[in-house]
Amino acid sequence: MIKFEQVGKRYANGHIGLHELSFHVRRGEFLFVTGHSGAGKSTLLRLLLAMERPSSGKLLLAGQDLSHITNAQIPFLRRQIGVVFQNHQLLFDRSVFDNVALPLQILGLSKDEIGTRVRTALERVSLADKAEQSPGDLSTGQQQRVGIARAIVHRPALLLADEPTGNLDPRLAAEIMGVFEDINRLGTTVLIASHDLALIARMRHRMLTLQRGRLIGDGEAA
Amino acid sequence: MSATRMPPPQPAQRVGAAPKKSESPTPGDDGPSFTHQLHAWLENHRASLVDSLRRLAKQPIGSFFTCLVMAVALSLPMGLALLLDNVERLGVSWQRAAQISLFMQIDATDAQGQALREQIAAMDDVEEAEWISREQALSEFQQQSGLGEALKELPDNPLPGVIVVTPQQVDKVALEALRLRLAELPRVQQAQLDLLWVERLSAMLKLGERFVFGLTLLLVMALLLVIGNTIRLHIENRRTEIEVIKLVGGTDSYVRRPFLYMGTLYGLGAGLLAWLLLAYGLGWLNDAVVRLAGLYGSDFALAGVPIADGLSLLLGAVLLGYIGAWLAVARHLSELAPR
Repeated sequence: MIKFEQVGKRYANGHIGLHELSFHVRRGEFLFVTGHSGAGKSTLLRLLLAMERPSSGKLLLAGQDLSHITNAQIPFLRRQIGVVFQNHQLLFDRSVFDNVALPLQILGLSKDEIGTRVRTALERVSLADKAEQSPGDLSTGQQQRVGIARAIVHRPALLLADEPTGNLDPRLAAEIMGVFEDINRLGTTVLIASHDLALIARMRHRMLTLQRGRLIGDGEAA
Repeated sequence: MSATRMPPPQPAQRVGAAPKKSESPTPGDDGPSFTHQLHAWLENHRASLVDSLRRLAKQPIGSFFTCLVMAVALSLPMGLALLLDNVERLGVSWQRAAQISLFMQIDATDAQGQALREQIAAMDDVEEAEWISREQALSEFQQQSGLGEALKELPDNPLPGVIVVTPQQVDKVALEALRLRLAELPRVQQAQLDLLWVERLSAMLKLGERFVFGLTLLLVMALLLVIGNTIRLHIENRRTEIEVIKLVGGTDSYVRRPFLYMGTLYGLGAGLLAWLLLAYGLGWLNDAVVRLAGLYGSDFALAGVPIADGLSLLLGAVLLGYIGAWLAVARHLSELAPR
């Protein structure tokens, strides 16, 4: 599903985001990327979302080489990915329903199809009864679940999450992680960047550890 | 187990699994049909149009004033162009000043005058030729000069017969050439042309046309800036939304579309307002023009905004709105990459 081959990222100011990173993620896998602030977690996610391009090496996502992807191909790549942000990135002038429907509207699905899929996605995150509310009326945990519903509504092959539990208390964090596991069980590859080692340890999934842009650990969280 | 955990996965609900036949295709499917793509494209356009209308309606005063500013900028050159058209229409009567008067020899007969008139009227560069006999000339002079009684005292009619020639074109060189040719005709004593009026008319019209052209260029640029700046503000207000749209797979054209509709709607509103302003403005001006023309014995009146001109104005405004929005979005779209 994901293949990093000696992938490096050097910025214009000389800062090195990633050092010759190599690893492989199988389809349907659930893994964490962890490390301190500045370790390269966000850079890794940005490369997968084609927000940045590798400076060296080869990065393959579902067989597509992201090192040489054209600007015109990027939107179509992103339609195969779901993204969950720490700050939710919800649109507060739209209802929960409309926020979740956004990826489907971009795909140009019919109203009926959008309605069905949005309701299914909201049911999966237990927010079916909040569809008509504004995200601003929801709690932080509920907002994060809206973000997750938006990320899975178009049935992506890969789900990326950047510190999805960063702002949540331990109980809510565990709840959100449970939702990710459920999504993973449905066949979606899930990659979560997080520095919450205690939470990661409880979940016993594969964990990549980054330090200053280098991969220093790859194995099941203990 | 948390309260938010889902029920066990159902095959039909599997993320990434192939959808049922009734479901619309997703990027991972075999590929959408042409009908589906067309429907999706139309649906996107409809949604963009409705969304743009909704956003404009949400700020009715701001939207109205933007349209009004554009309308004023549009109506200035268009109003001047319409006034120029009216002056050109007035020029039909001014063209009389470009008529060539052929004064016949005093002993030329009516029959000779009529024959010559027919010969002149048949010329290619002559619009019309009118024979005024000595008697007619005297009668008109008596009526117009107020010297009727005094003229009756004269032993003979002192006025010659005249052929009044209206040329096809009001052009200095062509008129002078025609005058020289007519002066050579038999029984013609003198061929007279008042070129000064013709030159003045021609120069004034050319100046007016150039002024309107220059003003139009300036105001078109101003309009593009107005619409560009308005769209830029809309883009700034929707920055987060655009970034999210791009992150979930929205193409540049998808992002651009609502702004293009917005620019087009601004243009449409401005065009309609400009049409209204011009129609009302010309109507208001017409009262004074009719009064002034009446003092000169003319029934001249300003024509309103012709339908064709109004539609051109509307089309031009819509195009300007679209182009202004396109330029603004093209300028700012690259800055809106997700961060």
